[in-house]
Amino acid sequence: MKDIDELNIPENKRYSDDHEWAGYTGDTIRVGISDYAQDQLGDIVFVELPQVGERFEKAQQFGVVESVKSVSDMLIPLSGEITRINTELEINPALVNESPYENGWMIEVKPDSNDDMENLMDADTYIKMLKGIT
Amino acid sequence: MPFILIIVYNIYEFFEKMNVNHTGLHEWHVKHGAHMAPFAGYDMPLWYSSGAREEHLCVLTACGLFDTGHMSVLKITGPDSYGLLQKCFSRDLNCCTGNEKKPLSAGECTYGVFLSESDGGVIDDSIVCKVAPDVWLVVVNAGMGAVICRHLESYKNSFDVIITDLTELVGKIDIQGPLSGMVLRHILSEPDSVFEGLRYFRFKGSFDNDSSHSDGVRLLDGTPVMLSRTGYTGEFGFELFCGYRNTVKIWEALLAVGERYSIKTCGLGARDSLRTGAVLPLSHQDIGNWPFLNNPWTFALPYNTEKTGFTKEFIGRKALENASYNMFTCPFTGYDVRKVADGIVIDNAGDVIGTVLTCVTDTGIGRVGDTVYSITSPDKPEGFVPKGLSCGFLKISRMLPAGEMLMLKDGRREIQVSVVEDIRPARSARYPIEQMIT
Repeated sequence: MKDIDELNIPENKRYSDDHEWAGYTGDTIRVGISDYAQDQLGDIVFVELPQVGERFEKAQQFGVVESVKSVSDMLIPLSGEITRINTELEINPALVNESPYENGWMIEVKPDSNDDMENLMDADTYIKMLKGIT
Repeated sequence: MPFILIIVYNIYEFFEKMNVNHTGLHEWHVKHGAHMAPFAGYDMPLWYSSGAREEHLCVLTACGLFDTGHMSVLKITGPDSYGLLQKCFSRDLNCCTGNEKKPLSAGECTYGVFLSESDGGVIDDSIVCKVAPDVWLVVVNAGMGAVICRHLESYKNSFDVIITDLTELVGKIDIQGPLSGMVLRHILSEPDSVFEGLRYFRFKGSFDNDSSHSDGVRLLDGTPVMLSRTGYTGEFGFELFCGYRNTVKIWEALLAVGERYSIKTCGLGARDSLRTGAVLPLSHQDIGNWPFLNNPWTFALPYNTEKTGFTKEFIGRKALENASYNMFTCPFTGYDVRKVADGIVIDNAGDVIGTVLTCVTDTGIGRVGDTVYSITSPDKPEGFVPKGLSCGFLKISRMLPAGEMLMLKDGRREIQVSVVEDIRPARSARYPIEQMIT
């Protein structure tokens, strides 16, 4: 189990209470799970993602991440339409463990508004929240 | 007020910590970054830095080290110790070993269950080891030492026996996987004589230096240990019992020697997926407070050869004979890695016929066509890489033949599985020791 100080919590991402991250990639927003989440889940063996074109409201379930020990819902941190999914995860779900913010990203979303991003936590606030949990 | 609140919180935290038990290796696990979680009153490693998948595969292909110091060990001594165990334990100790059903000899152990007299439900499962005609060890699950002690005491009556809970004095390490013997031989004094005749479900030595058996197995530095050809993974390996204070020393010695054999420390995650693939039950989950009938483990009951009755009287027998119990426990294998949690079982007519007891992913197996192969299957197709399959146990309202397709459903998803007789093929637990030590 990683100590909080060992976790990688990039400053250029925003974070939800449920340990998803969101970050701008051009016009869309990329979403994945945080280093804390992947560390807690352990080896990820399966990732279930939505279809491109599906719409979700903030905090709706958009997918499932399955580790050797558990099956967890992923909740979308912002409202919008899915524009792209990371199909690499079908073949190699362990990318989420190895590289949660880069190769292990989950979905790209065209956001309904920029407000949802503003309402997510910045890295400092997220780290403080994690310190409260552990 | 805030000050008082802080004090109250700290007292609460203090009592929480008081209630959590630690094995002798707890500090080692934490120091080495294990992912810890509570299990049966103990703070135990779920996995280490390499992750549960690698740990699972390592036990199939090399060897893994498990801290099993949370398990309880009872010692039953006295002239009537056999009588008390014959009365309370499900196996007929007078005819339970080999195809010929011979009596259990000193140096042999056997798997069975302790049943409730009222309903024939399982209080706990156990391995009973015969040290001598009047000295027996009973190995039960974490937190169950006191429960089984009380159970045995309650049926003691005029039996001349002494029951001692050794849990806090004994450390336990399991080394499992095909290279386990190769690792062990480097830390044993006279390994050839230790391994000679150490067949499946046999043991040698003692963790107690004062025992007359302690010379049976000693480490190079003279530390006495009890070594048993048993385990909870379905793979070749040993359970090593030692004095509590020697646990860390032995653990570190095994890891140091094991490095050249690619040894890995393994947590409860890999233990659970390995035992499920080996069709071994988890007590209080796959077997529990319902009649111990209609399941893959009834070989632990003292049936006669014709299976028409029992060969001895035992606690729970009447309840089993009178039970009107129509549920059946059977293993299943899925078609990919996806699992369900606390799911229901649906048959092909769409009817709900039961519940899921265990559902895990055995990451060492995969399907090619209709066949399930393990990473260790000698006949696996060239280039076979196991993708992992969900597997586990179902409790359903009718007996179904192997091959029957079912759907498992939880709040999240439905997965297709098929009823099977066995899960992970090519398991090494029973391989002759001579074949495993080269």
